[in-house]
Amino acid sequence: MTFTTPEIAWAPLAPLMIVLGAAAAAILVESFVRAPERRRAVQLLLSLVALLAAAGTAVVQWATLDGAGTVVLADMVTVDRQALAWQVLILVFGVLGTLLFASRTRAGEEAFTPLGSVAPGSTEETLARRKGFQVTEVFPLALFAVGGMMLFTAVTDLIFLFVALEVFSLPLYILVALARRRRFLSHEGALKYFLLGAFSSAILLFGAAFLYGATGTTAYAGISAGIATAAGVDPLILAGAVMVIVGLLFKIGAVPFHSWTPDAYQGAPTPVTAFMGAATKAAATAALLRVVYEAFYGLEWELSWLIWIVAIASMLLGTVVALVQTDLKRMLAYSSVAHAGFILVAFAGFPDGALSALPFYLASYGLATMGAFAVISQVREKAEDGAVLGEATRLGQWAGLGRRSPLLAGAMALFLLSFAGIPLTAGFIGKFVAFAAAVSEGAWPLVLIAVIASAAAAFFYVRLIVLMFLTDVPEGQEDAVEIEFSPYARIVVLVTAALVILLGIVPGPVLSAFENAGVLLLGAAG
Amino acid sequence: MDPINFVILASILFAIGAAAVLLRRNAIIAFMGVELMLNAANLALVAFSRMHGEIDGQIMAFFVLVVAAAEVVVGLAIIIAVFRARQTISLDEPAELKG
Amino acid sequence: MVNPVLFWIIAAITVIPAFSLLFARKAVHVAMSIVLVMVGLAAAYITLGAPFLGMVQIVVYTGAVMMLFLFVLMLVGVDQREDLKETIKGQRWIGLFTAAGLGAFLVSVVGRVTVAVSDTPVQGDPDVVAVLLFEKYVLVIEVLGFLLITAAVGALVLTHTPRLKPRRTQLEVQRDRVLAGADPVNKPMPGVYARHNALDVPALDPEGQPIDHSVSRVLKIRNQTQEGVEFRAALEDPSRKEGDR
Repeated sequence: MTFTTPEIAWAPLAPLMIVLGAAAAAILVESFVRAPERRRAVQLLLSLVALLAAAGTAVVQWATLDGAGTVVLADMVTVDRQALAWQVLILVFGVLGTLLFASRTRAGEEAFTPLGSVAPGSTEETLARRKGFQVTEVFPLALFAVGGMMLFTAVTDLIFLFVALEVFSLPLYILVALARRRRFLSHEGALKYFLLGAFSSAILLFGAAFLYGATGTTAYAGISAGIATAAGVDPLILAGAVMVIVGLLFKIGAVPFHSWTPDAYQGAPTPVTAFMGAATKAAATAALLRVVYEAFYGLEWELSWLIWIVAIASMLLGTVVALVQTDLKRMLAYSSVAHAGFILVAFAGFPDGALSALPFYLASYGLATMGAFAVISQVREKAEDGAVLGEATRLGQWAGLGRRSPLLAGAMALFLLSFAGIPLTAGFIGKFVAFAAAVSEGAWPLVLIAVIASAAAAFFYVRLIVLMFLTDVPEGQEDAVEIEFSPYARIVVLVTAALVILLGIVPGPVLSAFENAGVLLLGAAG
Repeated sequence: MDPINFVILASILFAIGAAAVLLRRNAIIAFMGVELMLNAANLALVAFSRMHGEIDGQIMAFFVLVVAAAEVVVGLAIIIAVFRARQTISLDEPAELKG
Repeated sequence: MVNPVLFWIIAAITVIPAFSLLFARKAVHVAMSIVLVMVGLAAAYITLGAPFLGMVQIVVYTGAVMMLFLFVLMLVGVDQREDLKETIKGQRWIGLFTAAGLGAFLVSVVGRVTVAVSDTPVQGDPDVVAVLLFEKYVLVIEVLGFLLITAAVGALVLTHTPRLKPRRTQLEVQRDRVLAGADPVNKPMPGVYARHNALDVPALDPEGQPIDHSVSRVLKIRNQTQEGVEFRAALEDPSRKEGDR
C-alpha cells in the first residue's frame, strides 16, 4: 500500500493546539522550575495566557469564518460555528476555573493537597505541608481537560469521540482525588467517578461498535446515510444509538446515570467541582447535540421515548432528592441532575431551536454554577482556636450569612435565582429558549412537567435564600463560620454575577450570536 | 461459520463485565469488569471489520487498547491512593467526614 | 469463514473464565482468569484476520495491563477479603437482573440481524495497518499522545512521594543504633560447635555460661529452644570437676 499524506486544515484547530500545546509545555515547567511558589506563578500565568489566547483565536475565527465551517479532516473533525460557540464557552469556564484553582485562603492554603501521594493525616503530609509542597500539576491537568472538551465538541467520528471523552475525563478523575481537606471523601468521590465514568465510556464504545457493524463506518455522516439506506440491521442501529446516547447521558449526569454526581461533587475540591459542573455538562451537551443531529436525526421517533423518560426522571428525582439534602454541595449536585433533565427537554422532537438554545442555557447554567461554588469556597468553618478549616457546607451554617457578608450572600442569592429561572436572571432566558424549542416540536406535556419541576425546585433555592437573609445566626454559632477573602475567587464571583445579570437583562446580542451557531456543517463527508 | 457469532460472544462478555461492575464491591474486580467490557467492544469491532472486508475496525481496536492502558494507569493510581489512606479498597466502607 | 471448532474453543476459554468476575472470592483468581480471557481474545483476533492486533493484544493486555493489576493486588495485599453483605437491600438481585437483561437484549439484537460477510477479507498486517493509521486516523494518534501524558502525570501525582527527610547515611544509622544500646557488632551466633551445632542451642561465653540473646527471638516465642539447661546444670553441679569438660 502506498501512503498519501492526509489533507488536514490545521488553521481551524488553532485554539485547540494552543491549549494542548500549553498543557504539554506546562508539564515541562513542572520539571524545570523547582521552587513550588515560582512554579505555581509560572503555571498560573501560562494557563491563563493560553486559555485567553485560545479564546481570542476562536473569536477571530468566528468573525472571519465564511460559510458554515471547515472540515479539518474528512469524517473526523469539523469546526463550524456551533463548535466555535461551545469552545469559547468552555474556554471561559476554563479561565474562571483556573482562577478558582489558584485561589487561596488568608493563611495561604490552596484547595489542593500539598502532596497527592501521602495518606491524609500522616506525618508525611504534615511534613510536606511544612516544606511548602504544592501540587501545581493541577494547572496542566485542567488544560488537558479543557483541550479534550474542546475537541469533544468538534469531532464527527464515534471513535474520535471516545478518545476525546477519555482525554477530558482522565484529568478530571485525578483532580477530584486531590482535595486538601476531607481526603477520604475526595478519594471516594474520585473512585466512584472513575469507575462509573469508565463504565459509561465502555457502553459508548460498544454502541459505536454496533453502529460500525450496521453501517460500516463510525463517521457521523456515514451513520446518518446508513440509517436511511441500511436494510436488515435496524435493531443493531437502534441498540448502538441508544448505547452511544447513554454513554453521553452519564457525562451529563441524567437519571438513572447520575449516581456519581453527588459523591464526586461533594468529594472534589470546590474549584474542581465548579469547573467540572459547568464545563463537563457543556461539553457533553455539545457532543450529544452533534451526534444526535448529524448521525441519529433519522431515528427521532425511535429515540424520543428515551429522551422523554430520562428527562422526566431526571427532573423529578433531582428536584425531590435535592429538597431533603442538608449538605450544600450535595444539594447543588442534585440540582445539577434536575438541570440535566431540563437540558434534555430541549432535545424532545429534535427541534432546530435546540442548537441555539442549549449553548445559551449551558452558558447561563455554567456561569451560575461557577459563581455558586466560588461563593462556597469563601465560606469556611472556624475551629475553637480560631483556625480556619474547610468549607462550611452544612445548610445550617449558612444561617445569617446576609449579616456576615452581604456581598457574598447577595451573589449567592442571584445564582440561586438564576438556577430557579426567575426573570431578570440568565437562567430565566435559558429555560425560556430551551422550553420554547421543545414546544415548537409539540412536546408541550414535557415542558409542562419541566415548568412544574422548576417551580418545585425554586422552593429549595428560596429556602437557602431565606436562611441566609431572614434567619439570625444561631446562638453560640457566631464564631463558627469565617468569611475568607481570596482575590481570585472574589473576581470569579463578581464576573459571574455580572454576567448572570447581563445575560438576564440584555440577552439579545448573545442570543443572536448563538442563533448563528445553530448551523451545523452537515454532510461533512469530505 | 459466520463471524457474527463472535459478536454474540462479545455481547455475552460485555454483559458479564457490566454485571461485575454492578455487583462486585471490590474496586479492583469491578475495574477488571470494565476492562472486559472494553475488550468485548474490541472483539465486536474486529469481527465487524472482518465482515466488512476492511481493517478500519482493527485500527479502532488499537485506539481502544491505548485508551484502556491509559485508563488502567489512572484507575490503579486512584485505587492505590485510596488504599494508602484507608487500608481497604471496598467501595462501601463508611466514609470519614473529617480528613 | 471461521472454523467452528476454533470458535467453540475460543468461546469456552473466554466465557468460562470471565464468570470468575462474578463468582471468585479472591481478586488474584479473577486476575489470572482474565489473563486467560485476554489470550482467548488474541486467538479470536488472529482467526478474524487481525494477526498484528492479536500479538499486540497479548503484549499489551496479558503482558502489561493484567500484570499491572497483579502488581497492585500484591501491593494492597492479596488477602483483601471482599465484604459481600449488601448496603442496599436487594441491590445484588437488581444488578444481576439488569446485567442478565442487558446480555439477553444484546444477544437477541445481534441474533436478529444479518450483516453481509465480505468474500475478500483483508489481513491486518503491520504495513497495511500503518498506512491507514497515519492517513485517515492521524489526528486520533496525535491526540492519544496527550492522553498518555495525562496518564503518566496523573499516576505520578497520586502515587509518587518525593524525599521528605534528608537521606541518612549508614554512619548515622549505625551511630544512632549504638547510642540506643544496640550491640556495636553482630550478636553472637548460636550453637556449641563441639556438641550441638544447632540454632536452638545458645552459645557459651568464655566462662561456659549460655548467652541468651544468641538464640533467635522467634524460636523463643515458639518455645522451641533448649534454654541451655544442660550447661547450666553442669555449671551448678559441684560433683563434676573442671577436667571433665
